[in-house]
Amino acid sequence: MMRHIATLGRATLDIVSSIGRAGLFLFQSIFCLPSREGFHLWIRQMHFVGVMSGAIVLVSGLFIGMVLALQGFTILVSFGADEALGQMVALSLVRELAPVVAALLFAGRAGSALTAEIGLMKATEQLTSMEMIGVDPLRRIVAPRLWAGFVSLPILTVMFGVVGIWGGYLVGVDWLGVYQGSYWSNMQDSVDFVGDVLNGMIKSLVFGLVVTWIAVFQGYDLIPTSEGISRATTRTVVYASLAVLGLDFVLTALMFGDLG
Amino acid sequence: MDDPIMVEVKDLHFSRGNTDIFRGVDLQIPLGKITAIMGPSGTGKTTLLKLIGGQLIPDRGQVLIDGQDVHQLSRRSLFKLRRRMGMLFQSGALFSDLDVFENVAFPLRVHTELPNAMVRDIVLMKLQAVGLRGARHLMPSELSGGMARRVALARAVALDPELVLYDEPFVGQDPISMGVLVQLIKKVNQALGLTAVMVSHDIKETLSIADYVYIIADGQVMAHGTPRTLDVNDDAHVRQFVHGEPDGPVPFHYPAPDFYDDILAPAGQFS
Repeated sequence: MMRHIATLGRATLDIVSSIGRAGLFLFQSIFCLPSREGFHLWIRQMHFVGVMSGAIVLVSGLFIGMVLALQGFTILVSFGADEALGQMVALSLVRELAPVVAALLFAGRAGSALTAEIGLMKATEQLTSMEMIGVDPLRRIVAPRLWAGFVSLPILTVMFGVVGIWGGYLVGVDWLGVYQGSYWSNMQDSVDFVGDVLNGMIKSLVFGLVVTWIAVFQGYDLIPTSEGISRATTRTVVYASLAVLGLDFVLTALMFGDLG
Repeated sequence: MDDPIMVEVKDLHFSRGNTDIFRGVDLQIPLGKITAIMGPSGTGKTTLLKLIGGQLIPDRGQVLIDGQDVHQLSRRSLFKLRRRMGMLFQSGALFSDLDVFENVAFPLRVHTELPNAMVRDIVLMKLQAVGLRGARHLMPSELSGGMARRVALARAVALDPELVLYDEPFVGQDPISMGVLVQLIKKVNQALGLTAVMVSHDIKETLSIADYVYIIADGQVMAHGTPRTLDVNDDAHVRQFVHGEPDGPVPFHYPAPDFYDDILAPAGQFS
């Protein structure tokens, strides 16, 4: 019995100290003065983290929009409400699916790569040697990646949403024969810029920060062996996905909870 | 030793988990000399270098570099102090996304405002010194182990540091690269007047270039002196280590139950 309590206590202490380390880590790396060199590093990471995730986000966005229209149509048409298809596709994408699914894809595509990359740098002593040269790896390695993730996920989310709405149009209007005037005008009437688009963007900003933070911290904090790297990569995807889904609920409750 | 002291380690204690790595280590590293720290594997030699470089924090004791207590410095001052140090890592630790030239140029680019032409001159001079000027466009993954370590040496001395820490510079090298490295370290040290701390267990090579040697075992300094005095030291520990005898005070066998009992243990009692 005592042993179980001790184990529980130790696990709690481990979790608390790891959250503390992660917090300090974020604090020390995110407030870096922008420099010309830092800008170049950031651009390079924007390419690696953002641009390279573009393809998977676009393709997934297209398919999700198409599936939404297909599923939505079969339900709406039985109420004679197929005119509202545009509204349904746009609202589900803008409020929920674009920020959440883009963040999940981002965690799998870019997050795992960030963890593995930083982890391998740690395992091959590149981070230590950088410290010994007198360069803070938090500034040079971590900060550009953190900012790249923070900036690129909202952009990816917008791309996801736009392509998704287009996918919905392809299926709903071109294939299933919904009147295209009502597809667009219902969408225009019901989607509110502040209430829906801006809130969706806030979600994706939060997700961008959390996912990249988890990814770079797991890479920086891992045990530098091949097993450690594989575990940390897995942890990145699992923690980031859970964090995105959990935070999504909290944010949705805060943003849309009082709508009725 | 009457030379001025560059690095002084005082009563250093360090432990990992429940294992004591150091139990009161005292060292004095003289200015402008090569000081070797030797000892069997697993005695924490690399850990000692990391303590000197301020990457690990001791449980007790001090490391003074040029009079400054490394572990009392702020993160910023520590990084400033590190600009006066170079470190050669066991693995080379070259940055895998930069080529040989940029790896050597890295410390210059981040710490100086030198124009590109001058950076190029300095890098080519350093690469020439290690014989790899022709390899400047190769990526670290295209280098052999020995070449990687030579590039790392060029990078470690790129800023003309006052203190260079060598972590096992000879480990895993073929005889030719080993000979090259021994010569290079000696030459670079003399040419630049560096203070060098070298951690190693390659006795012959180390004793051939070190000015002073500390032997560490069981978390303490077991013996120290010039290579010549250690060679004729009578202590059983020192003799076993310096002459590479397989069995002695440091046993060949990891602690285990009696061999006879172990072999004849009845089934079901295997441990």
